[in-house]
Amino acid sequence: MNIIYTLIYLISAVLVITGFYIQGNKYLRSMVLTLAFQSLIIAIIAFMLGMMLKNYTFIILGILVIILRVFLVTYFLIKRIPRSLSYVYEPRVSTTYLLILDLIFIIASIFIVYSISFIKIKTIIFPVKNIILFPLLLFFQGLFLIASRRRTIAQILGYVEEENSLIILGTFLLPVPIIIESSVFLDVLILVVIFSVISIEKNVHERMEELRG
Amino acid sequence: MIIVPLIILIIPLIAGAFYKSIKNASVAGAILEMIMLIPLYFSLNYKGFFFITRINFIFILMVSSVYLMSLLYSRKYIEGIENRGITEKNYYLLMNFFYISMEFALMVNNYGFMWVGIETTTISSALLIITEKNDASLEATWRYIIIVSAGVTFAFISVILIYYSFHTLEVTAIIYRSSTGDLPVRLAVGIALVGFGTKVGVFPMHTWLPDAHSEGPAPVSAMFSGVLLPTALYVLYRIYEIYPMPEIFVWAGTVSVLFAALFLTYQHNYKRMFAYSTMENMNMALIGIGTGTYAGLVGSLVLLLAHSFGKAGAFYSTGEIMKISGTKDINNISGFMKNKIVSSSLLISSFAVTGTPPYGTFFGEFLILYSVITIHYYAQFIIILISIFIAFVSINLNVSKMIFKGDYKYNETNGSIIPLISGIIAIFIGIVFLVIINEIL
Repeated sequence: MNIIYTLIYLISAVLVITGFYIQGNKYLRSMVLTLAFQSLIIAIIAFMLGMMLKNYTFIILGILVIILRVFLVTYFLIKRIPRSLSYVYEPRVSTTYLLILDLIFIIASIFIVYSISFIKIKTIIFPVKNIILFPLLLFFQGLFLIASRRRTIAQILGYVEEENSLIILGTFLLPVPIIIESSVFLDVLILVVIFSVISIEKNVHERMEELRG
Repeated sequence: MIIVPLIILIIPLIAGAFYKSIKNASVAGAILEMIMLIPLYFSLNYKGFFFITRINFIFILMVSSVYLMSLLYSRKYIEGIENRGITEKNYYLLMNFFYISMEFALMVNNYGFMWVGIETTTISSALLIITEKNDASLEATWRYIIIVSAGVTFAFISVILIYYSFHTLEVTAIIYRSSTGDLPVRLAVGIALVGFGTKVGVFPMHTWLPDAHSEGPAPVSAMFSGVLLPTALYVLYRIYEIYPMPEIFVWAGTVSVLFAALFLTYQHNYKRMFAYSTMENMNMALIGIGTGTYAGLVGSLVLLLAHSFGKAGAFYSTGEIMKISGTKDINNISGFMKNKIVSSSLLISSFAVTGTPPYGTFFGEFLILYSVITIHYYAQFIIILISIFIAFVSINLNVSKMIFKGDYKYNETNGSIIPLISGIIAIFIGIVFLVIINEIL
């Protein structure tokens, strides 16, 4: 296997590790910055593939990820975290417990991915077929983050993590046309802005009597 | 002709440009949209950036009609809201964007852009839920955004797999090609059921639906129930066409209809009750589409068409009841018989959404059940039949209680005429559709 492919394979594994780090973290600012790092890794992978395959689509994709995900999304999210300690830190969250649950969830996800033969899909871009396991695991981690946290901002992070996993999945399988990819990026950016508008009014989500049944 | 769909998308934008008088401009734009349906009908079968067929024309007709009625109903309703989460002008602006995104998803000839259209409906409609701002509406908005976005994001895997399989996302290039049902294609269709199914209200991803419908203002609930969910169903139908998987789709619909019926048995909030009724109707339409038969497809179309007007009427009626009584609790509402307009519209709409003859929903459900039998799905047939009976009894019993039981404790004896008109249209539109079906399909 080409050394660049090996390198991309290893870097992709880091994506899943960043997912675990976000899950095991209580500090919102640190979680947002880790997500920015995760997006940066995706951009690096896109650049590496673009240079190796001499395909400008990957380069544009990488630039879009850096502008929209690494900078703009991070900016809107960080802006919503006030400096007061109560906002910086997410209370009543047992990260050890959640991390163990996340591990169990990921093992179950691997079982699902293999059992529905998803893994048998051959990538057109990448010579190793099981590379798509990494984005799929990242997707499940995003879902778990949404389900396990109560803070608005933590749930947004789970959603953006899900979106990140799809960019990298598309990159490994066959990137969708850049015009559609750009529209998707813009959609997500606007959603993050709406998220942050709502988080001003509603910061924590608990059960409500009016919404039962 | 690309020009007609383009004009349809541009008109609400122009209305939005008249921000100072956006209320009137939006209504004028919506009337123009209805007129534009005539040239659109004559440009059917256009294939290019847009793809207009007789099937999506019916959906476009539904969206334009309910949009116009909702704008008309909003004029008084929104004025009466005291604690607004968004300004009145922004409300109309968002309604226009919401309409554009639905029309875009319905007309575009590309699975990727359809996804973008569906995601944009979430963006444009989320803030509409907090028009009547309180803690519950904020929480409902949040649940709507996070659950639907997570689900629709999942649907993007489906778009990736379609592109991977066909190297194009053009709907016309894919559906006219016979698919061999390779693993990625089957996965794409299955994942679309879960992803877009979140927006359609397929169990168990339906949880956002009762919250958003019950906390949103009445005209927005009408748009959600009457046309947003059918739009998502249309996108799901286009993906289903690539490789039909009747067993999975019919079972998913059957289980959802059953759960919707069970949820309906213990509802005490009339808006949530109608929201679960939407879940039941949408999944009935999903079953019809899922059978892959002509009868099933026609049944689904007539059901959706009649349901859109019936449910819009039902939600406008709930808006009137809420305004008069100040409560959403069925047990605290009584004697509405005294208010002739509101009680008539509520009763007519309630019959329309529960499949009472001679409404279109009845013929739609009949055709769907017939199509289930023709493909020999007997277990599903029995479950569906029992479920729609439970739903019928639960809804009509609650509505009867609100209208006929107890004394009328309120001063208001009038109400808006729009819910009544919407309910009456629901009676005729299904029959008209069935009479002229050979001409239009």
